[in-house]
Amino acid sequence: MGISKGDEMLIAEIKADNEMAFEAMILKYRPKLMSVLIGYTKSRDHAEELCQKTFIKVWQKIDTFKGESSLFTWIYRIGINLAKNDFASSSSKNSKITESLEQDQHDVPEYRSPETELIAVESEQKIMKFIQNLDADTKTAFTLRETEGRTYDEIAEILDCPIGTVRSRIFRARQLILEFMNQENILNG
Amino acid sequence: MDKDLEKLSAFYDGELSRVEMQEIIKEMDSDEKLKNTFHRYGVISELIQRHSEKQTSKITHFQNYYRKINPVITNIATAAATVLLTLIVLYQLDEDRFQVNKETSLQLSSAISSDQAKLQLLNADQNIMEHMIQIMQSNQSNNSQKVSKNWIPVGFSVNPNNPNQYSNGRNNLFFHLENKQLGIKQVKYFKAKNNWIYLIPLKDGRLLTAYGDIPPSIADQMIQSIYQRN
Repeated sequence: MGISKGDEMLIAEIKADNEMAFEAMILKYRPKLMSVLIGYTKSRDHAEELCQKTFIKVWQKIDTFKGESSLFTWIYRIGINLAKNDFASSSSKNSKITESLEQDQHDVPEYRSPETELIAVESEQKIMKFIQNLDADTKTAFTLRETEGRTYDEIAEILDCPIGTVRSRIFRARQLILEFMNQENILNG
Repeated sequence: MDKDLEKLSAFYDGELSRVEMQEIIKEMDSDEKLKNTFHRYGVISELIQRHSEKQTSKITHFQNYYRKINPVITNIATAAATVLLTLIVLYQLDEDRFQVNKETSLQLSSAISSDQAKLQLLNADQNIMEHMIQIMQSNQSNNSQKVSKNWIPVGFSVNPNNPNQYSNGRNNLFFHLENKQLGIKQVKYFKAKNNWIYLIPLKDGRLLTAYGDIPPSIADQMIQSIYQRN
């Protein structure tokens, strides 16, 4: 899968030295990258360090990104290569971890990112249940976007409704989830 | 403010024009609340995607057990077993969807916890498995009753060569309707490779089986609509 139009524009902004665009990219992809790195390193601190190194490398190498893969896949590969190098040079090399790195798979493991670590498992279940109980229109649009990565255009076609409706349904889902998290005091502070 | 947040949400999904994107990035630069919200969108995404992956992982775990404890099936019918082993049994890990029977998910938990329980679960559902294999193998409407036009999702039209097959040009859906319910009281769904199988017990005692590349997020609406019109 190649780069999405949205990420392509974001990259163009980053290449034009727009620092806030770069920060937006970090805010967007950090939770997912951390989740992957914690899964591999089994250490939150180590993952945090690798995550920082990854984004520094992303900033340095952004001009070499050709858009042949999705942006996250590219970030992910940089993170994984850094982790591989790290393990190779480490005296406490762990063959099992190296093995898992060799697989180079784009999986999101069960490990939780530091952000979501702050959410108790029970609260996580509550959020998932809340999402399931959203009204059908809102839930369908949101699920198609989040779990299937469909574009607004595709969702509009599937649901036979205008793109503007898709956009507002997805926004509504996010708003309701954030409101629910606030009500339940999840991730506050 | 809501307009800004809606724009932020569309930015998160990469759905803004270049000009709109530049505007929202500029706004984010001076608005910590926008940054924080954007970050939370990322947290929500990670959580949802991880849950979705966890389900797949549980399913794979169950499949591996299935191979170990029921080798007989692979010997009985190789073709069927190939299909069967690719079935991802979702019994129902996502128990809230389709108002799924809680007992079934408990059954799965106990199935995972002991080999004996696994055998019981598999034996109990042998008929369901056989039914699905039959549907997937034939894809013909030989012994199917006529499906009500009202049940067909919007945008789908009938295949002239098969009155029980429908397509919207991109997705295909095959229906099979019989006078049996196989003990199913609530909707169950399964995944086989890129296709989904929905077993929908109707109020009049018949069982509607829908098979095709329609994910639950879309099938949900179709099923709700079938129940409203049945």
